[in-house]
Amino acid sequence: MRMSYEKKKGLYGYGFIALWFVGALMFFIIPVIQSFIYSFYDVKPDVGALIMSPLGFANYKRAFATDPDFRVNLTSMLGQTAWQLPVILVFSLFVAIIINQKFRGRTFARAVFFLPVIIATGPVYAIITGNLDTSGTADAEQFSTMFSSDMVDELLEFVGIYGFNDQLTDMLSTMTSDILNLVWKCGIQIIIFLSALQGIPTSAKEAAAIEGATSWEFFWKITLPYVSPMILVNLVYTIIDTFTDPTNVVMEQVLSVQDDWRYGYSAAMAWSYFAIVLIAVGIIFAVMNRIVYYDD
Amino acid sequence: MAEAVKDNPISAFMKKRAADKPPKEEKRSRKEERERFKKRLATLTPMEQKYLKRKRAFDAVWPVCRALLVFGLCFVIIYPLLYMITAAFRPRSEMNDPTIIWLSRTYTLSNIKDAARTMEFGKTLLNTLFLNIGCSVLQVITCAITGYGFGRFNFKGKSILFGVVIMMILMPPQIILIPQYMFFRYFNPLGIYHMITQNYINLINSPLTMYMPALTANGIKAGLFIFLFRQSFRGLPKELEDAAYLDGCSPLKTFVSIMIPNAGSTFLTVFLLSVVWYWNDYYVSTSFFTDNSTIALQLKNLDASLTRVIFNNGNVKVNQRELIVWMESGCLISITPILVMYIFLQKNFTEGIARSGLTGM
Repeated sequence: MRMSYEKKKGLYGYGFIALWFVGALMFFIIPVIQSFIYSFYDVKPDVGALIMSPLGFANYKRAFATDPDFRVNLTSMLGQTAWQLPVILVFSLFVAIIINQKFRGRTFARAVFFLPVIIATGPVYAIITGNLDTSGTADAEQFSTMFSSDMVDELLEFVGIYGFNDQLTDMLSTMTSDILNLVWKCGIQIIIFLSALQGIPTSAKEAAAIEGATSWEFFWKITLPYVSPMILVNLVYTIIDTFTDPTNVVMEQVLSVQDDWRYGYSAAMAWSYFAIVLIAVGIIFAVMNRIVYYDD
Repeated sequence: MAEAVKDNPISAFMKKRAADKPPKEEKRSRKEERERFKKRLATLTPMEQKYLKRKRAFDAVWPVCRALLVFGLCFVIIYPLLYMITAAFRPRSEMNDPTIIWLSRTYTLSNIKDAARTMEFGKTLLNTLFLNIGCSVLQVITCAITGYGFGRFNFKGKSILFGVVIMMILMPPQIILIPQYMFFRYFNPLGIYHMITQNYINLINSPLTMYMPALTANGIKAGLFIFLFRQSFRGLPKELEDAAYLDGCSPLKTFVSIMIPNAGSTFLTVFLLSVVWYWNDYYVSTSFFTDNSTIALQLKNLDASLTRVIFNNGNVKVNQRELIVWMESGCLISITPILVMYIFLQKNFTEGIARSGLTGM
């Protein structure tokens, strides 16, 4: 029997993904389903298997209704992400624009800005920030009074704002004293923005130059629209990165429960957490897709 | 090829034109430059004048601001590393001296030696290289194959399967850790091993727990890598492939000899990220290894094992501040190999990332 060319090609497609599919079945799809089932059971480890007794929605109810920590951790996590997201995005776009320009030492600067990607995911980062804390060299105050929290207050007072909003001052000061953390979180985002900036067509740049656009106009009329798809990508990436980071408070709680062998409860917490992440990502996708500009 | 170009009349013409070009103007002094600018301004409309003036002012001020900014931010990033270096070579007693912040009075190598002894550095390094480089290479290859399948072929159920890839990116690995642990702890090949032998194979502490997912494109952050490869292969021109098919290449041969060479920078990027993530991973490996067999695990538990090895007594309480010198030494020796690799690859990495297919999603 002779197959059409397209059909034959499709079969080859199955061939190319076959290996991955076998692995995904073993290491992803089945475990996901199992963990979802666990979340409705009381699961205890035993030789050769897990002893499961059905609980219905009790695990979920417990997480949201009776557990004192889970809700607190969740809201603090969400609040923190809400203010960190725009800061990380603006900062990484800014840095990407700078290191996309031509200047002496650019290669060095790029290498330094991507350094966090190499280091920050491992235990090294946790150790060095912890050590800087104990030795009193952690806060940005150490190397500049600009970043010390008093300075922020004083600046606000200087402008004429006297304790007008405690929350805002708090936020500003955590932000400034957290600058190390922030800078260290932006590696991948900077890379993504940089690649987007390099993808801006030369024709658009030339047209802007001929029309006499200032750098400010160039940013708003050329850079931002062309980069906007990557803003969406970066938003989603940052959300996933902060939410799945094993050092964030919710993840720590999930893991500590897991270490107590309470698998069912930890699965329920992880799944409700994941549902919230999915909803957040979904909302951002829906909103951003209206704003994002696609070239073709 | 070069000979053909030489005789080309067009290139000869271009050469002649280049030779006829007037020599480059000599550099003028600043004063002359200013005069010329003024003269030029006089011929323009007020709006053009305003634009040019503003542009000139901006061009003069911006490089200075930029230099300051870049320097400051680079400093923030390098700062902990500088601290790591000074602390690693500092005698422990000097940690309590309040007058010493950066430079200590004397320097010593003993912290590094202690840390390396505690971490059994030679053995651990070899083990980590075996796990890390092996898995990374395997994972890059298998993810590339999968990414090519998703990027260039149309088949039934493709969108659902690709949805699974996206879920692999979104799902926190913690969710599926326990089922995975059970899978490896009570490994049951083909589902019949237990029936025949009434036994399970315990794969905990075996390198297979790392190698099996890597071999099937399901290792650490595999979803992201498949996605990157798919984007990058999709961005290559279709004519490349069609030409190869017309010449009688099978899809596999086309992939190996046409597509792979054209996606070099993606391979490099993914390889680097893959090595880094495997190297830094302590999360997945803590679950599957009970002994500290990789560098990240050793480092994670360094503070616990330090007192045991150095003082031969796990109950000795060391001052937190004094512990720092060993911790920082441990960090220093753990990141050195990967830092060296980064220094060699970084030029290709940072310059090549634009072509890695991140764009055009």
